[in-house]
Amino acid sequence: MIATAGSQRRWRRIFLVVGAIVAAYALLAPLSSLDAAQSAGIPLLTDKFWFRIATYVVMFVVLATAWNIIGGITGYAAFGNVAFFGIGAYTTGMLIAKAKWPFLVALPLAPILAALFAALVGLPLLRLRGHYFAVASLGVGVAVGELVQNIDYNGQPVFGGASGLFLPIYAVGHRGLFFFYLMCGAAAVAIAVTWWVLRSRFGYGLIAIRENEDAAAVIGVNTTAYKVAAFALAAALTGLAGGIFSQWNVFINQDNTFPIEYNVQMILMALLGGTGTVFGPAAGAVLLQLLIQFLGGSLPISFDLPFVSSEARPIVARGVIDFFGGRTRLSLSYLRRSLRDTSL
Amino acid sequence: MNTAAQPQLELRGVTKRFGGVGAVDDVTFQVEKGEILGVIGPNGAGKTTLLNCISGVHRVDGGDIRWEGRSIAGLPPHRIARLGIGRTFQIVRPFGSMTVRENAAVGALFGSSAARRGLKEAFEVADQVLQLVGLKAKADHPVSALTIPDRKRLEVARAVATRPQLLLLDEVMAGLNNVEIDEALEMVRAVHATGVTVLLIEHVMRVIVGICRRAIVLDFGHVLAEGEPEVVLRDERVIKAYLGERYAKRLRGERGQDSAS
Repeated sequence: MIATAGSQRRWRRIFLVVGAIVAAYALLAPLSSLDAAQSAGIPLLTDKFWFRIATYVVMFVVLATAWNIIGGITGYAAFGNVAFFGIGAYTTGMLIAKAKWPFLVALPLAPILAALFAALVGLPLLRLRGHYFAVASLGVGVAVGELVQNIDYNGQPVFGGASGLFLPIYAVGHRGLFFFYLMCGAAAVAIAVTWWVLRSRFGYGLIAIRENEDAAAVIGVNTTAYKVAAFALAAALTGLAGGIFSQWNVFINQDNTFPIEYNVQMILMALLGGTGTVFGPAAGAVLLQLLIQFLGGSLPISFDLPFVSSEARPIVARGVIDFFGGRTRLSLSYLRRSLRDTSL
Repeated sequence: MNTAAQPQLELRGVTKRFGGVGAVDDVTFQVEKGEILGVIGPNGAGKTTLLNCISGVHRVDGGDIRWEGRSIAGLPPHRIARLGIGRTFQIVRPFGSMTVRENAAVGALFGSSAARRGLKEAFEVADQVLQLVGLKAKADHPVSALTIPDRKRLEVARAVATRPQLLLLDEVMAGLNNVEIDEALEMVRAVHATGVTVLLIEHVMRVIVGICRRAIVLDFGHVLAEGEPEVVLRDERVIKAYLGERYAKRLRGERGQDSAS
């Protein structure tokens, strides 16, 4: 155990260095004149499409890092955090589209409303433990999405209904760049908050709850208050990402602000990078989101992996997800099963 | 009210039922400040349930628990801990991802004292407590590297770090060998010497006789006997509860012969 602590530190250092280089490149590449970068043949982040991918990646850094506070540090496997993303998106979206608020004034209300909602549902929900909490939180996540789409007043959908909500385009010089940096700012806040939590009395209380809630209570940790606070903090950060998303994407509906798969993705990312750590979920988010974009074939450029035909891509994707999800060891029998299931 | 005569902890008719079973039934006793009180009883007598009631883990169904004259029945566990009642669990519950030192420090970070401690002071307290229970040398070990006796020490260390005025120990000697029991006894004496009242649940009679001046015997949730350990352990009702009626009769016969000869 003590021996692994040293190798853990070494890995952490390697990850930090690599992460710092990637982050610095991502942040600085667009700053050096865009045309110059293009003519120099640097593909990353110079055209609109890449900004979109990069902003998505950073958005998931926020989501995974936020989930880590309740799921990783406190040990409560929240499966419905997408509700906070959607609430954040719709808060900002409604304020801009209906109340005509300026974006930067409407944005701070996204985290506030998401946190208030989390505190409200957290009080009953966080009395459940283990799978019970996971399933109940998933239910809340789905329910909020349905409510937002279906609430009517005088026969009119309050939140845009099934046709969604259109926001005016935010007038700013380079929109792609602006929202990419804004999302990076949110990610920085999320990581800084995690860093602070892990070094505070609050964080020690949360870890104590994760390790043994009864023992935490009898040494004087107000477990209910701490759990709700952690839930609300995660919700605030998730809601912030949602708020940025709504103005960035200009159009929001149930499908793009309450996607159930986000719930699973942010958890997988945190697990992949290392739950309970400061940078782990961020690293996991970058890796997995890039992988999802590559293997999902959502790129316009042909990004065929060498030696892998496009038909075989789903198999590779499944293998990667199963392996990192800890569900299998990669073996011949697994490959055979995988081939049979995808009926190639 | 005369505070000198007031017991530190007072249980009045405390009752806890699980369904129809009265795990703790109308239990009344007092704990005086500064004493070491033993609570013994056969398996299932309600000892641990009693501790759970005092520490707020269970809500009592009847009766009252008074801490320094104030009722604490119904308070949540963290409030009771902050009043100055610390406890250990029979099955140790360390914070597995932390080091030994961090475990103790978390106790110090929260715990009883109204004055909030910063991280640095908490770790200083942790070091003092680890010294006291004899875990100083293993302060930076992960919990998983500890032996069972050391885990029991850690359980005590974390509770002591909360700076309790009353410490409830739930079978800290169970599963230890004779040498380890002697060491653990030393530890309890050392903690007691710092001015902490101790309420001790124990199966090992040697422990009770060794450090308690007073013992309470529970059986089927009732207080069966109360008094000096040596006297209580010779009480026929206690022997019957532990060893059965037949054995008690036989013992009575032998004693009769002893006094006759």
